Amino acid sequence: MSVINYQRSADFPAISVSDLTVGRGRYAAIESVSFQLSARTNTAIVGPNGGGKSTLIQAILGLIPYQAGEIQIWGSRIEDLGKRWHSIGYIPQKFPFDRSFPLSVSELVGLGYYRGYFPWRGGQLKRKRQAVEFALEQVNLQDRANQAIGTLSGGELKRVLLAYCLVVPRALLILDEAMAGVDATGEAEFAELLAKLKTEQSWTILQVSHDLDMVSRYCDRVLCINQRLLCQGVPSITLSRENLNAVYGSTITGYVHHH
Amino acid sequence: MSITINLPEWLSLFSLPFMQRAVAGGILLGLLGGLLGSFVILRKLSLFGNGLGHAAILGVVVGVLLDLPPTIALIGFLVVCGLGVIYLIDRTDLGSDTILGILVAGSVALGTIGFSFLKGYRGNLLSVLFGDILAINSGDLMALLLLLGATVTWFVQTLPDQVLLTFNVDLAKVRGIPVQRYRYLFIVVLSLTIALTIRAVGILLVNAFLVIPAATAKLVCHQFIPFLVTAAGMGAGSGAIGMILSGSFDLPSGPSIVLVQLCGFFGAAFLSRKG
Repeated sequence: MSVINYQRSADFPAISVSDLTVGRGRYAAIESVSFQLSARTNTAIVGPNGGGKSTLIQAILGLIPYQAGEIQIWGSRIEDLGKRWHSIGYIPQKFPFDRSFPLSVSELVGLGYYRGYFPWRGGQLKRKRQAVEFALEQVNLQDRANQAIGTLSGGELKRVLLAYCLVVPRALLILDEAMAGVDATGEAEFAELLAKLKTEQSWTILQVSHDLDMVSRYCDRVLCINQRLLCQGVPSITLSRENLNAVYGSTITGYVHHH
Repeated sequence: MSITINLPEWLSLFSLPFMQRAVAGGILLGLLGGLLGSFVILRKLSLFGNGLGHAAILGVVVGVLLDLPPTIALIGFLVVCGLGVIYLIDRTDLGSDTILGILVAGSVALGTIGFSFLKGYRGNLLSVLFGDILAINSGDLMALLLLLGATVTWFVQTLPDQVLLTFNVDLAKVRGIPVQRYRYLFIVVLSLTIALTIRAVGILLVNAFLVIPAATAKLVCHQFIPFLVTAAGMGAGSGAIGMILSGSFDLPSGPSIVLVQLCGFFGAAFLSRKG
């Protein structure tokens, strides 16, 4: 359905941001940032805490207003995306929710299914159930389908959210520090899984990350953001000691990058 | 009054039209309260019923001063108040509990001052404090049926959207769900329900209908659909059983319904206690 729209606009960059300025209170959290992402690339946004990484992501998703510039996804301004939001998966950084929220794993994944489907229309319910089962198999949580979400660990919850993104075909996946609050093993597993699914699903990925090793291993491109876009390019070249010092200040000197 | 009641007398009471309307009213109010209450407690609006309940005191005074029919005045005033509360929650950094605290205090103060101007006229205050489910007329029942029908239709069409917006607002926005429209519409439906519930059980007990059945269901259910159905069922069941209890033992009606709700709640708390 909505995927057809996306393919029609495959000639456009997946995301195109030009001269974007986003205010937080009285100061600019993001100032005059421009970049373009080609389809099927995996791009990381890195930078210091408070440097505007999440602000940039939230502006691209239309969650907060921006003051100047333009944001386009597949060649359309985000204000005009309409039904194509269906093709965008989003995994937020902080995920505060009531642990006793009465919702099962499969119900949460099902919330990612097409909007406006009606269970009593022929075969719809069955098709949805199959899509949910398949998505949970992809993230190895099929045996947790009926469990309450409050019983999951941080890493499992992120995998359920990945399944939520998988339940219908998406073209673009936006992750805001998906690994915040997940232990090291869970983080490595998630990165592997994401890389595998990216190839299978032909996803374009934009993710905020704090782990420069992971970025070097899995991402094709990196954007260094500290209020402004300070550098961008292939991780092995862009994440040089000089650039990192410029982005993070002296706090990063402990990180040694191996080419 | 005799505690022992023989069956024909027990039955004959419920053959009276006003008693039948009261039982039907109790069931409809319970259904609505359970359905809306499910979202109320998950959206952290548990104090909303209480806040709007107290605003009703001022609503009654305004209605009398403007010489409006009491039900119309109450409904109109509560819808305006409910929308005002959500607007202030959105526009200020004060929490919803603070805004509702101001609403409660402000309405009681202004309402009490207003009542002092209504010479020798206190009947309305008592009826709004305690309500009277036995006085429910067929117009009230029709309004309840319409409201229930509209609510169920809306929920059936938008249930996944409603759940997602309750679970995480950002995920809902990215999916293109009109979050603000849904929130405001929910508040209108909720305010209408509170206004009609106040007519039956009064401002002091209105919140029980929104909070207790849903809280009970939340204790025992870990999936959404069973939770919603249990809350509505609890609401309707306690409405019916409470009215039968009230009629059979000549107890006050609203409090009898709340008594049944409480029994359900404590039963569920006992069953779901963490071992």
